[in-house]
Amino acid sequence: MNTLQILSASTPAPAALLLAACTAAFSAPAVAADLQPMTLRFAAQVNGQPFACGQRYADIGTTRSTITPGDFRFYVSEVALVDETGRAVPVTLAQDGMWQLDNLALLDFEDGSGPCRNGTAGTNSEVRGSVPAGRYTGLRFTLGVPFARNHGDPTTAPAPLNLTALLWNWQGGYKFVKFDTASSGLSGAHAMAGAGHGGGAASGFSVHLGSTVCASAARTEAPSSCQNPNRVTVQFERFDAATQTVVADIGAVLADANVDVNAPRTSPGCMSFPNDADCPPVMGALGLGYGGVAAPGPQRLFTVR
Amino acid sequence: MLARLALAAGSVLLLGASGAAWQWPLPAWVPPPVVPTDNPMSIDKVELGRHLFHDPRLSRDGSLSCAGCHDPARAFTDGRAVSPGVTGETGSRSAMSLANVAYLPVLTWQNPQLTSLEVQALIPLFGEHPVEMGMAGREQALFAMLQGDPVYRRLFARAFPDEARRGDEALYALSTLTKALATFQRSLLSFDSPWDRYRYGGQPGAISSAARRGEDLFFGEKLECYHCHGGLAFTDNQQHARSPFAETGFHNTGLYDEDGQGAYPAAAPGIVEFTGDPRDAGRFRTPTLRNVAVTAPYMHDGSVATLREVLRMHYAPAGRSALQGRGPNPLRSEFIAGFEITEDEIDDVVAFLEALTDERFLRNPAHANPWSAARVGPR
Repeated sequence: MNTLQILSASTPAPAALLLAACTAAFSAPAVAADLQPMTLRFAAQVNGQPFACGQRYADIGTTRSTITPGDFRFYVSEVALVDETGRAVPVTLAQDGMWQLDNLALLDFEDGSGPCRNGTAGTNSEVRGSVPAGRYTGLRFTLGVPFARNHGDPTTAPAPLNLTALLWNWQGGYKFVKFDTASSGLSGAHAMAGAGHGGGAASGFSVHLGSTVCASAARTEAPSSCQNPNRVTVQFERFDAATQTVVADIGAVLADANVDVNAPRTSPGCMSFPNDADCPPVMGALGLGYGGVAAPGPQRLFTVR
Repeated sequence: MLARLALAAGSVLLLGASGAAWQWPLPAWVPPPVVPTDNPMSIDKVELGRHLFHDPRLSRDGSLSCAGCHDPARAFTDGRAVSPGVTGETGSRSAMSLANVAYLPVLTWQNPQLTSLEVQALIPLFGEHPVEMGMAGREQALFAMLQGDPVYRRLFARAFPDEARRGDEALYALSTLTKALATFQRSLLSFDSPWDRYRYGGQPGAISSAARRGEDLFFGEKLECYHCHGGLAFTDNQQHARSPFAETGFHNTGLYDEDGQGAYPAAAPGIVEFTGDPRDAGRFRTPTLRNVAVTAPYMHDGSVATLREVLRMHYAPAGRSALQGRGPNPLRSEFIAGFEITEDEIDDVVAFLEALTDERFLRNPAHANPWSAARVGPR
């Protein structure tokens, strides 16, 4: 039996969508027999502890601060399984009209409760799709929204590109990662009157990842490219989707950051903007170059278990 | 191109059947603005947009409407250098006048990417840095509020009959919300100042002799104001129905020089934030000078209090940063050369600028708040 054959619990309608997507991709009859369903499971953690809204987590960052997160969502795209010859075979995602669109998916670990009140009640920890039948040994995906979808019209975009909390209106595009938290250093003295309604905002430490310095060919055209695309390619040589889970641990991203301070006159935490002293440890942990300095190594947000 | 225009004309006729057709209230010498083909003007959309614009329920705590920073009596500015949002956090740039915003191909002080008025509305509504109206993540609650208000049910259905036929999810959405706000803003037209009547309206006595002398200085080669502050709205950012392409202008006027190499403060660095080109440090979009006498304080961060100071303390010395003693900003525009100017000449230029105030625009009932405090809460 093929180890990647997973019986999905899908109802007939999504299965029909699956088949329709597959048919569109391969434009041949009797396609279903050559494909197998695939579910990529994610889990969110903070320094090894499961992520939950309103939970307190100790020993975060260089000051060993205590944080209370208010959001944790991210987009992945270009999911592919790697076969025994090393070839990356794209996973065709189920078009569910909610979490997945084209080849991108939104993972959502906040449930709208407590300090996550600007989030949504729904959560999503899986990417669902299909691949050609075969044996696969590895996994690859991109953290981020593909360029072709990142600079469209946000007022008419379909789900999951229609959530205002994930729009990155000033820079254009989307927040590839949205993590917001209060910290022991940034929720008391620094909180403004009326703040504390949710993580981030006027105080707190955020990690918002997105493309920056996106230039257009002409002043009034949409960007043609971005100097800092800030997408992260994630690769695991040995990965078995049937038994393993991709773990996103935000604690690893914050390990070398000081979450108790914010560089004056910069966005709270690191929001990818250039010239923010809070960004180098965060961007480095994501495996991204920043401010002309190359990444110190590969990304540390994702591991597998 | 012609096919798309024909399509737009066709859809306007269709809309005319269910909603009153829009007429531009413009003098004959002003060409109409360009309107996106997917958001044609209509009286019903303008009326819906006016209600939304003045409604503080579009903010997280019900305290802040668009009009809270864009007050019609101040040509849609707010008299502050920078403004607080619902959490008290302030931005780093001043609320801009919305008079004639329909003619601007690019929006806000330093964002060359922001070319859509519809998309711009998302920033104050849903932005998180800074938090302005604080609605990030709260759009479903916002749509529920709109849907639950009989005034909005009537206005949305009239403004968007196609979407109404498709159901409430299509009718109460980011798309219709931003289209209505943009349409209202496009109706904010200001071309009836004393100077307009003097220059185009056949009324040579409409402005004072001081203002006429100021006009000569403004359009002359000593001050060179008109190089950037020329055009229909006294800004070199302009597009209209008779122009073949959009014109944009971003300039460094030498207001700051933080490092001796031309840089501006990091919180508002200029369009370099988007282009990455160090020569774009300190480049900001030229604002309109129409109604400038009521839109103090001045510059992108409101750091110059009066028009006299703009002339004496900023443009005359080739940029305020030159007063630091290190010489003028090396990245400044070639038009910022500095000049000698007497107090009498400053009086004259200020008289000219005051003649650009369109009093009827400031008091136009078509732009006013339609709500009572009892209805939407105090502002």
